[in-house]
Amino acid sequence: MAAMGAGQMTAGTVALPEAPTPPGPFRRWMTSPIGAQVTAAVVFIGAWQLLTLIAPRVPGPVEVVNFLFVEITGGSHGGIVRGQFFEHFAITLQRFSLGLFLGFVSGLLVGILIGSSTLARALLNDTVLVLLTMPAFVWAFLTTMWFGITWQAPVLTVAFASFPFVAINVAQGVRAIAPELKHMSTAFEVGRSKQFRHLIVPAVAGYIFAGLRFAIIVGWNGILLSEWFSGQAGVGFRTRYWFDANRYRGFVGWVIVFIVFIVVVDRVILNRLQKRAFYWRDASEADFIEIEEQQVGL
Amino acid sequence: MARVVIDRLSKTFPPPAKGGDPVVAIGDISLEVEGNVFVSIVGPSGCGKSTLLNILSGVETPTRGNVSVTEGDRPAHLGYVFQDARLLPWRTVIDNMMYVRDDGEAGAAKAARYLDMVGLSHTHEMFPGQLSGGMQQRVGIARAFSVEPDLLLMDEPFSHLDAITARSLRDHLQELWSATRKTVLFVTHDVVEAVQLSDRIIVLAPGGRIFDDITIDLPHPRRAADPKVATLQAEILGRFEEMQPTSAPA
Repeated sequence: MAAMGAGQMTAGTVALPEAPTPPGPFRRWMTSPIGAQVTAAVVFIGAWQLLTLIAPRVPGPVEVVNFLFVEITGGSHGGIVRGQFFEHFAITLQRFSLGLFLGFVSGLLVGILIGSSTLARALLNDTVLVLLTMPAFVWAFLTTMWFGITWQAPVLTVAFASFPFVAINVAQGVRAIAPELKHMSTAFEVGRSKQFRHLIVPAVAGYIFAGLRFAIIVGWNGILLSEWFSGQAGVGFRTRYWFDANRYRGFVGWVIVFIVFIVVVDRVILNRLQKRAFYWRDASEADFIEIEEQQVGL
Repeated sequence: MARVVIDRLSKTFPPPAKGGDPVVAIGDISLEVEGNVFVSIVGPSGCGKSTLLNILSGVETPTRGNVSVTEGDRPAHLGYVFQDARLLPWRTVIDNMMYVRDDGEAGAAKAARYLDMVGLSHTHEMFPGQLSGGMQQRVGIARAFSVEPDLLLMDEPFSHLDAITARSLRDHLQELWSATRKTVLFVTHDVVEAVQLSDRIIVLAPGGRIFDDITIDLPHPRRAADPKVATLQAEILGRFEEMQPTSAPA
């Protein structure tokens, strides 16, 4: 007769299965979200390094990091130009912030209008949808044609490119507000300003964040293109400078700066703001207190 | 002391489907309620009970007829308790109470007092999602009383709750009402509940017409198990059986 393994029944007794061995600290780390993210980054850098073996004109990660170090610390790139990293970055950031502010505020107002008024929806919804289909590079071309090589061109590129994403998301959010809550507000004669602050804005917050995320990505793309075509300073201008100089490590280096900025904004600013705005949701999920019923004799 | 005058009121909704008939929610009713009384409006589903409250609160407009809700020579101040609590999930309990008020610290003290009266003084800083359905509804009741309305409208406030919680909340409501003596219009389809709580029961029939108007002359607070209450409930339920279903839409 074959020997019985763990978990098999003998007459009258049931053997419990052996508890699985807990994973070691390395396996735990590898399977954690941060472990997965680090693994993805390592795989990406490895693939990039491999690519440089196949395509020698592609600069490798070490070459690009060295370039960025010199560019950021103000060193010399073989006598071609002194690094002016922060100056260019600050100029782009100023233009981007102003453009995003204009696009966000106008998108918010138009989105609320479309979401709350049938007439406004009939008037504006299709226009916003058309704007949504316009690629950022079209705005970069148009604003350069309209304003020439000026600071207005990149600012308005960001504003035009980001506006429809905010408007369409906010409109959807306003339409999704529970009619029961509006009814309650009307029945209690809550003022319009109070309803806007405490009902509409929090109810639409998720849609605002979604719109803002798209707006930042599209706007940042837009400013890079605009500065590429018409800038005399800024991240886009600098990227083009290295492209024209046939220094691909410079070009790739600035593209990486561009990507890192988006990731940092998303992780550090947007994620934190979102967590703060939705604190109530975490608290509600974590701490349901049905037991409290018993304290009042139900 | 609020005064409600409903004069030949009708409300018809457009047909729900193309080519269908319009839906008569309320069909030419006249009614007067005055004083610190608890009035229940009872009737089967679709007889226009909630529509009547919506018209009184200004959320809907009548098709024909007039309503006036006054306190002396000014429009009455209203409070509303809905079928569900209708709290803002992103605001704490005390902030939800303050959402319907325009005063500052004095208002907060009043809101806290009413929360205390419904046994929820320990929940001020909690979010609605942290409370059970019964507790949320108690916040809804406290919110409506806390605005110190001249007229309190209650639309089947216990219909979504289990029997034990509903019974407990009815007792809370009786205590609150005995302490404040507001004019209350209470919509329900539950005759037992209506008899336990009300001074007067208006029975609506399908098609939104008044079928009966009954005065209940028993002292408050009442217990559901009280033999006098039970006898009255049986009598009124008997009258209900006389109500013939009509061809009016449900």
